Amino acid sequence: MHFKFITIIARQEWASIFRSKIPLALFSVLLVVSLLATFTGWQYVSKFNHQQKNAHQQVHDQWMSQPNRHPHRVAHYGYMVFREKSPLSFFDFGLDSYVGNSVFLEAHRQNTVNMSEAGFSNGMLRFGELSMAMVLQLLVPLFIIFIGFQTISGLKQNGVLKILLCQKASYLDILIGKTAGLTAVVWALFLPLLLVSLIAGNLLITGEIQGETLLRTLLLTFLYALYFLIITILVVAVSAMSKSSKNALMVLVLIWMLFFIVIPKSAQSLGGSLHEAPGKIAFEQAIEQDVSEQGDSHDPDDPHFASLKANTLKKYGVDSISHLPVNYGALVMQEGENISSNIFNEHFDRLISIYKSQNAVSSVLSFIDPYLAIRNISMNLSGTDFDSFTAFQKQTEKYRFEKTKKLNEIHLTQIKYQNDSKQKVSAKNWQEQPDFAFQPLTINQNLTAGGLSLTALLAWVLAGFGALTYVSSKRAYQL
Amino acid sequence: MKINMKVLFLEIKNFLLGKTVLIGAISLLLFGFYSFYHGNQVIDRQQKTIAFVPDVQKHHLQEIARHGTGKMVGSTAYYPFFYTTNPASPWEKFSIGQRDVNPFTLKVKMLAIEGQLYDSELTNPLTLLVGNLDASFVFIFLFPLLIIAFTYNVLSEEQENGVWKIVRTTSDSIGAAIAGKLLVRLAIILTTTLLVFLTAVVALQLPVSAPTFQLLLVVLLYVLFWFTISVLVIALGKSSSFNATTLVCIWIFLAILFPGVANIAVNNSIPVPEAAETAIRQREGYHAKWDQPKKPTMEKFYAVYPQYRKYAISEDKYSPGWYYAMQFSGDLESANSSEKLFEKLMQRQTLSERIARFNPVIAAQQSLNKVANTDLTSHIRYLQSVKAHHRQIREYFYPFIFEDTPTESINWAGYPAYRPNQYLQEPVRGGMIAILIWAAGSLIAAQILFKRNFIKIKDIQNA
Repeated sequence: MHFKFITIIARQEWASIFRSKIPLALFSVLLVVSLLATFTGWQYVSKFNHQQKNAHQQVHDQWMSQPNRHPHRVAHYGYMVFREKSPLSFFDFGLDSYVGNSVFLEAHRQNTVNMSEAGFSNGMLRFGELSMAMVLQLLVPLFIIFIGFQTISGLKQNGVLKILLCQKASYLDILIGKTAGLTAVVWALFLPLLLVSLIAGNLLITGEIQGETLLRTLLLTFLYALYFLIITILVVAVSAMSKSSKNALMVLVLIWMLFFIVIPKSAQSLGGSLHEAPGKIAFEQAIEQDVSEQGDSHDPDDPHFASLKANTLKKYGVDSISHLPVNYGALVMQEGENISSNIFNEHFDRLISIYKSQNAVSSVLSFIDPYLAIRNISMNLSGTDFDSFTAFQKQTEKYRFEKTKKLNEIHLTQIKYQNDSKQKVSAKNWQEQPDFAFQPLTINQNLTAGGLSLTALLAWVLAGFGALTYVSSKRAYQL
Repeated sequence: MKINMKVLFLEIKNFLLGKTVLIGAISLLLFGFYSFYHGNQVIDRQQKTIAFVPDVQKHHLQEIARHGTGKMVGSTAYYPFFYTTNPASPWEKFSIGQRDVNPFTLKVKMLAIEGQLYDSELTNPLTLLVGNLDASFVFIFLFPLLIIAFTYNVLSEEQENGVWKIVRTTSDSIGAAIAGKLLVRLAIILTTTLLVFLTAVVALQLPVSAPTFQLLLVVLLYVLFWFTISVLVIALGKSSSFNATTLVCIWIFLAILFPGVANIAVNNSIPVPEAAETAIRQREGYHAKWDQPKKPTMEKFYAVYPQYRKYAISEDKYSPGWYYAMQFSGDLESANSSEKLFEKLMQRQTLSERIARFNPVIAAQQSLNKVANTDLTSHIRYLQSVKAHHRQIREYFYPFIFEDTPTESINWAGYPAYRPNQYLQEPVRGGMIAILIWAAGSLIAAQILFKRNFIKIKDIQNA
């Protein structure tokens, strides 16, 4: 390898791209689209979060201004949690539009997170949402294809390649030089744009830059840089293997379709067929079945609750529940809550693991399709991925359980068994309860979740250089 | 313009023998087959769940009635769920639309309805994001690519390898030669379209009735539109690479960028804060009543149901009649924002339809979803039917609640059965006209360009 040759070729490639008008025209289109995407993304996210914050404030105020009430009434009054979008979600919408935005938390029941944007949209959303990430993931590769498809095949057609090879340069030097030149162009055009939009958008949404967000931003920039490099290598390799520029373009456009449309869709529906998930009714039926097997608090003859009663009476040394120092009704309710919550969590975890196995298919296929790799890891780092949403669901359920449990404790100790429903307790009791605050996943958790995709990206870079070496060694590809 | 039959025949042979046609047609057929399998699978799974519902309902009500023995209807009525279903129309396998996003079964209690309407179905959100590879996807997304592959180099390749000069000098009419070449491609594109569509009719068991023909018509017009766009680009008389690049860019613009921007525009111009508001209002409207005198709550209820005024409601004692009147007033208080929500969703639909006039891709998708009854409008129809059913159920149980009837003496399954919405055949004329106008427009423009770039060209040497 001649480093000097590589630099000369890279410089030459850089200069020749900037000399022609088409790349700049395409870039200006992409620039406008990216700025538009960033702007609308920022506007949308801040408007949305504002709306959710207002709703949350309203619900919180209502909670605090409840009059003195019976604690079980408060448990049924319940609480509502509104999901806010993550600070980087303006960059990559990820799953945000397809998951629910609000959940009602009440005693006895685990409600679904409802009101997703997709549910309130007609089909237009399904063409894909315009975000900065979409531009970088889908359109920049196309840009690379258009500026790079003739990078080697053009040299073959006009005979320059032969002249170059007759000089000291090896074919590998030329391929690497071309890759370096093209990559430099793409990086110079898009990475600063990416970095600036990420930081600016984040500043506008949160008003500050936290250390972790900055780290995420830098990581995203680095990973997109890798992604662009992979695509560039691919373009150079295909161009080198093609007899004519026209063939190279055709093959590359085909690959683009395969990578961006065919494989992602097939991967997901393959995952769905391999790991069939239960529908809502089947899911609820299974839970109901398990709950009634363990103990049904509404059934007076239920063995589980009969033994609870016997044990409680024995513990306090009394012969009837009306003589207990605590409210037996509350005890039964909490026991029912313990049972149903445990069973629900078990089934829910199973459901999530089925979904995860479905999604794992696309993670594994990242080794075939680099787009899947960057799509997954970009969602992870932007906090709009599957795990972030699951964390929201799990945290709200935990919050629901604890809130209900505390209310049952108040019921247990402050409400007498006799004339139960006629009594009230001071509103102070629940005013002191902590408010729900979503704990987003840490960077480490996000990176672990995207581990496979991350490995795939790195493997692609290595494989890319391997492929260039292979192509350069074949005489057939030099003609 | 006279087309030489012999030349035409040669052209057909020439084109059919090329690799592009074979690879293109076969891969499209394969995608077609896969999409039929996928459509069948998704909808069959939904239908299986729907078929399961009557059993679940029956068993559920039996359990409730068993548990309630000895209690009054007023206290038992709190527990049962009443299931509703939104069965698929026969055409939904063709165009799944929003059916995977929106729930196709909903269960409601006799309690306030607003909080129960938006329960989501359990689905893997990534699967929703990626979307369905159904027949409508094959036609809307992939067919244009096939058309591009078939046509982008019709003339440019012959210009590039020198054949065109021979064609120019040997044929009597350049126009006829061009038309012949294009017609051969069009015929093959239409044949492929019909072939895939017919396979769809068989594989998806689409009934041979008006909606199927609506689907076919939309698809044919749409394919025609893409063909004319291709012709328009060809008529510019540029190189093969230029044609391919331009056409792919047009495809990306129409099928990805434009809908992406339009979607944001629709969401931004018609936001729906009412979604959260309805839920908050209903919850507060109902719960506040517990701490208020009973009379005003009952008066609101009597205003709609005066026949229950004769039952005494004690001011200082809990009574089931009062409980359900409170639930009812929760709905009354959120009725305004709930109506507004539906209204706004309809506005979103109207606005997107207006936008679709400028983009045949969106117009085609909306038309297909409309025919299949898988768009937002049909989901709203379903929600409205659930609301109506909820009212029927309340009205069935109210007399027993106010009469203080024992649980065991009523028929728990005797409420009016839920009637799923019937298939609604909606006109898709608007969408079709939009596609047609765009197709006609590009054809006219293409003709003008052909005249300038190919037929009236002066410099034969470099043509």
